[in-house]
Amino acid sequence: MKDALLSVGIDVGTSTTQLVFSRLHIRNEANAFSVPEFNITDKEILYRSRIHFTPLLSERVIDAEGVRRIVDSEYESAGISKSQVQTGAVIITGETARKDNAQEVLRALAGYAGDFVVATAGPALESVLAGKGSGAEEYSRKARCSVVNLDIGGGTTNFALFENGRLQDTGCLNVGGRLMKFEKGRCVYLSPVLQPYFTETSDPWEVAVFLSEILEEALELRQGKRYLDFVTDKLCKPAELISFSGGVADLIHHSHPDPFAYGDLGVLLGKAISQSRLCQDEHELQAKETIRATVIGAGLHTTELSGSTIFYRNMDFPLKDLPVARLSPEEEALPQEELIPRIQQKLELLAPDNGPCVLSLQGLSNPRFSELCKLADTISLSMEQRSPLLLCLERDTGKALGQALHCLQPKKPLLCLDSLSLPDSSYLDVAAPIAGGQVLPVVIKTLVL
Amino acid sequence: MNKDELKALVAQLLGELHQEPTVKAGDYKPTCHIEDATLPDITKINLRQQYLVEQPKNPKAFLDLKAKTPARLGVGKAGPRYRTSTLLRFRADHAAAQDSVFKVIGEDFAKEHGLIPLKTRCKDKDEYLTRPDLGRVFDEVNQKVIAGTWKGARVMIVIGDGLSSAAIEANAIDCAAAIRQGLQAAGITIDKIPFIQFCRVGAGDHIGDLTGCELLCLLVGERPGLVTSESMSAYITYRPHKGIPEAKRTVVSNIHSQGIPAVEAGAHIAALMETMLKQKASGLDLKQELSHEG
Repeated sequence: MKDALLSVGIDVGTSTTQLVFSRLHIRNEANAFSVPEFNITDKEILYRSRIHFTPLLSERVIDAEGVRRIVDSEYESAGISKSQVQTGAVIITGETARKDNAQEVLRALAGYAGDFVVATAGPALESVLAGKGSGAEEYSRKARCSVVNLDIGGGTTNFALFENGRLQDTGCLNVGGRLMKFEKGRCVYLSPVLQPYFTETSDPWEVAVFLSEILEEALELRQGKRYLDFVTDKLCKPAELISFSGGVADLIHHSHPDPFAYGDLGVLLGKAISQSRLCQDEHELQAKETIRATVIGAGLHTTELSGSTIFYRNMDFPLKDLPVARLSPEEEALPQEELIPRIQQKLELLAPDNGPCVLSLQGLSNPRFSELCKLADTISLSMEQRSPLLLCLERDTGKALGQALHCLQPKKPLLCLDSLSLPDSSYLDVAAPIAGGQVLPVVIKTLVL
Repeated sequence: MNKDELKALVAQLLGELHQEPTVKAGDYKPTCHIEDATLPDITKINLRQQYLVEQPKNPKAFLDLKAKTPARLGVGKAGPRYRTSTLLRFRADHAAAQDSVFKVIGEDFAKEHGLIPLKTRCKDKDEYLTRPDLGRVFDEVNQKVIAGTWKGARVMIVIGDGLSSAAIEANAIDCAAAIRQGLQAAGITIDKIPFIQFCRVGAGDHIGDLTGCELLCLLVGERPGLVTSESMSAYITYRPHKGIPEAKRTVVSNIHSQGIPAVEAGAHIAALMETMLKQKASGLDLKQELSHEG
């Protein structure tokens, strides 16, 4: 059985705003004699928007209406209506996320994002999306090696380290093309992070070389500790290969004749990086996507599928921004009389007054039926006051546990997912079922705006 | 080598034969220390986590690949051959497969789990293995029990040993309990469950003829392989009867601890059975949609 999802990715960044439409193809990959196993088998980009400068009202305020107009015109030229979009993400990235009215921008875009589009931000997520969108993740999976992707944007450089296709680490530095802005060759803006080192009359080329050295230091290609002043979030470990994405990536290998073509440091920074130790042949990996990496990451790589044997009754989809309470494996092993208050306490903390909250646990490994019923009983007792009952297991026993819970509380709306690992203090969005009701698309978020 | 050299070589060898050996058999004293301990059970090692190649370039990457397959890859070598541990494990798994085919589980198993014991027309395991036709039918005594107990039942769950007794011992009871619970929630009650000794898949068709049941789910041991000897299948047939085409059966295979867990398979099967009753079909006639209403 096959199905497809139309997904949108909208990225409102420090310097640019972009959008992509893509189609996620979903197929049952199990043979006809087995329990179904749905996977996203192909990700196809249908439409890439033009790259727009992010409209700003001032240094600290985004022009929300301007962003809305850009998105509206791109929907029109793609020939896609708002109601067709089934999943996706709007993300506000880089320094833009720290602007005063990020919330307002999201509200302005709410209608464009279909029923189920996730609004999100945060440096770690940004790094991951750029790393996936650039192709670094795929390369590290296929070539079985470690790759660090540097997404160099206007205000920040986002690091994501992948080993054998698995995300290992993320990081973020205040290094970007728009830390200095120019008009008619004269500096009109110098970012506060550069002010301890430079003035507005400093030579821009020296600034660019300085910034490339900061990146070298961060990846241990040069000795020095100056980079510590530029760490915004945390730092990422070095890897065998380096790939570049983001706006500056295009300027590394294709230099522009006019050094101030974009009114910022971008052209010079690209050139400085191309001459630095970052670009030695033995460790540079050509990224598949550069300036569009983050938006492609948002459109193609935010949606995941639940397990294919799951249980739900009387639920209204989509579900949005569900907080997640996670039980550790040690807690799961507690005796029932200790586990019940522990679960109640966890849920109460995240969702007081019996608000909706997902209980995330590892679940049992190949349990006996009696063990399963005991777990269902424990959960049922601890969530007696709550409705709906929301659960997510790592191990493939969601349908069995859901069924057992349904027998204990037949009237209650119930959702029991599996084969997903939800970390503590994450948030879960669940879209309407697809593939004949057998599987649910989900988005796991680390931050809710 | 010419003739003379060959002669010289033979003469040398013959000469050595007449010499006294340096150590005489009677003087030989083994130096190894014999302990009265138990060897570790090699079948307890998870092959997907074992990588025996010496000095590998990227062992983590290889183990990532191994996690996805039960194939015996990355076993290293001793000269041109397998290592002892690889060979022993292979023989141990093969022995387990044979054991699970030949092991007989019968009335005791049925009694322990409250199942009703039945037997096909096979006299013993040998006849069962050589005469598949007899494993699909019941004698008159058994026919009477079947008709007497289940005539008029709408839905039946049936357990049969099939080609792996180990699979049934490991999975059937938990799987059947989960199916029963799922059907119960949909308002379908399963009363008694039979256990059939020397059972082929076709035995369910004979039961269909004898009871007139609408839907029958047979849990049966799969022919064991080297990956696991505990794999069970469910064959679910709408309106089973002798001679029904195989294409009309829905199969859920690979039910074991490394495949789909027995209870999860049970919940899936229960939902499938609900869909089958709604669509009045099974096998290729069934449209793949699962019920999430109730």
